[in-house]
Amino acid sequence: MAVATAKGKPRYRYQGMERTKQRAGLLFVAPALLHFLIFTSIPVFVAVGISFTNYSPLGGGKFIGIQNYIKMISDELFWTALKNTLVYSFWTVPVTMALALFLALILNRKLRALAWYRAAFYMPQVTATVAIAVVWMWMFNNQFGVINWVLEGMGLKAVEWLTSPTWAMPAIVIMSVWRGLGGTMVIFLAAQQGIPDYLYEAARIDGANDRQIFWRITLPLLAPATFFLLVTGLIGSFQVFDSIYVMTGGGPSHATTTIAHQIYEQAFQFTKMGYASAEAVVLTIVVFIITVINMKYVKSDADYV
Amino acid sequence: MDVSLAPRPVSRVAAPRTALGTLRQILFYLLLTAFALAWMVPFIWMVSTALKPEPEIYLFPPKLIPSTLVWANFVKAMKAAAFPIYFRNSLVQAVVHTVASVFFGAMAGYAFARLKFRGHKPMFLLLLAKMMVPSQVTLIPLFLLCKNMPLFGGNDMLGHGGTGWLNSWWGLLVPGAISAYSIFMFRQFFQSLPRELEEAARIDGASEWRIFWGIMLPQATPAVATLSIFAFQSGWNSFLWPLVITTKDQMRTIQIGLTVFRQDFNVQWAYLMAATTLATIPMILIFLFGQRYFVKGITMTGMKG
Repeated sequence: MAVATAKGKPRYRYQGMERTKQRAGLLFVAPALLHFLIFTSIPVFVAVGISFTNYSPLGGGKFIGIQNYIKMISDELFWTALKNTLVYSFWTVPVTMALALFLALILNRKLRALAWYRAAFYMPQVTATVAIAVVWMWMFNNQFGVINWVLEGMGLKAVEWLTSPTWAMPAIVIMSVWRGLGGTMVIFLAAQQGIPDYLYEAARIDGANDRQIFWRITLPLLAPATFFLLVTGLIGSFQVFDSIYVMTGGGPSHATTTIAHQIYEQAFQFTKMGYASAEAVVLTIVVFIITVINMKYVKSDADYV
Repeated sequence: MDVSLAPRPVSRVAAPRTALGTLRQILFYLLLTAFALAWMVPFIWMVSTALKPEPEIYLFPPKLIPSTLVWANFVKAMKAAAFPIYFRNSLVQAVVHTVASVFFGAMAGYAFARLKFRGHKPMFLLLLAKMMVPSQVTLIPLFLLCKNMPLFGGNDMLGHGGTGWLNSWWGLLVPGAISAYSIFMFRQFFQSLPRELEEAARIDGASEWRIFWGIMLPQATPAVATLSIFAFQSGWNSFLWPLVITTKDQMRTIQIGLTVFRQDFNVQWAYLMAATTLATIPMILIFLFGQRYFVKGITMTGMKG
């Protein structure tokens, strides 16, 4: 390009090309950008605005300052939902990751039919949460469910899964782990394959045993993938909705209601859209904080790799 | 970007040379296969229930293999609710989402990667921000926007008096049509392509559109395949938005239909499982045939080797 700018005519042409590139670039992103502006950016600001009002489709819409946020502090249901969300995340994310790591470690070898095993574990991920939640409801059925049958077969007592406040959340966690395992495993597998061979070879030559290799090489080098999975896992689990809505509707007696479920319920069942927006804003802030931590970490991590 | 998951030879899993080694190998495969099969139980159970005669559903202990296969359950399930309509709507939604996301996504992703137009940085940040925004926060404003869409669904110029985009194709399809994720992925992909062809075409005087459509996009076929699959999946499986925007059978998607069917009727498990089977089959087929694209996509998401 430097050559082109050295002479008169090509330079002119180069500038013309730059201008068309500029214009084309803008035109190419215009549809997507316009779409985001209308259907994401503006709605986010509107949501913040609504959160300061008592808006309801049935009436109202007065500015009430931060009253929704104050109300949230004393709203027992909000705290229950927050607690449930945390409990759900606390179990779902680490258990999924631990199982996935274990599987990825054993699958990462010369394995006949690797594709089939991988497919078996990944398949739950492609199916809709809603459809699969319906299947699990049937499996968790108190009277005729296959899970209670297995429990009894093992000499344990049958459990009232989705109808008892104690067991409803574990049931949803079990389903979520089942569904999320495959995707997490595939990422661990890919990350393992990104570890250069020479590290293993060098360790071998130095006389390291399997356990040392795992703790000193594999695990530390999987740290970025682990962190990535933890963060995306948390962000996803903080927004859990579909499975809750289908399997328990937040019940029994609010034992499984989550923040995302509360937002939906407040807005579309109790028509308190102002209050629901305030809850949504809080959820967004939490998700935003996790993401920012993630970006910071990933950046510092870039020089490491 | 090679993300194939071909097993990487690691010396510690060299082929067994002793009888004990062979035994361990067999045991390993048995355990792994058992685990993989256990992971398939929900699918097996779903299909088994869908094919059972009514009385066998309510047996305890449950029967895995039905005494006769009642294919009629599928036919009856289709008639028990407006499932054909739900399927049609889901198909339309998934296809439109796929086409829009891939087309506009490729266009914008290409522009962000190659046409460094003025303002591309802040615009790209806006895009990243969209990926962080939880869908719950835009849910209420989007609902209100659709409901008050001027001049639609009986609304006047100011968006009052009618139902706007509620229960319409517009409302179902437009707000979620373009995904930021797809743009992001296309940008990553186009950045990895060599520049020579593009520059040569530009010198030859090809228009920017021709360069994109005729030269760059054909090279992006793997990305197009991967992102089409992901877009189809997210369209077919989407739940929260169709849940709030549709209230009439005429516009409901399959996931909503399943939930409604579960709530409305005195749950007929055989029909419900038959419908669920049909709702999951499209995704499972796409997955089985396009497995490598799924794996490619999921590893592209976070891990770049």
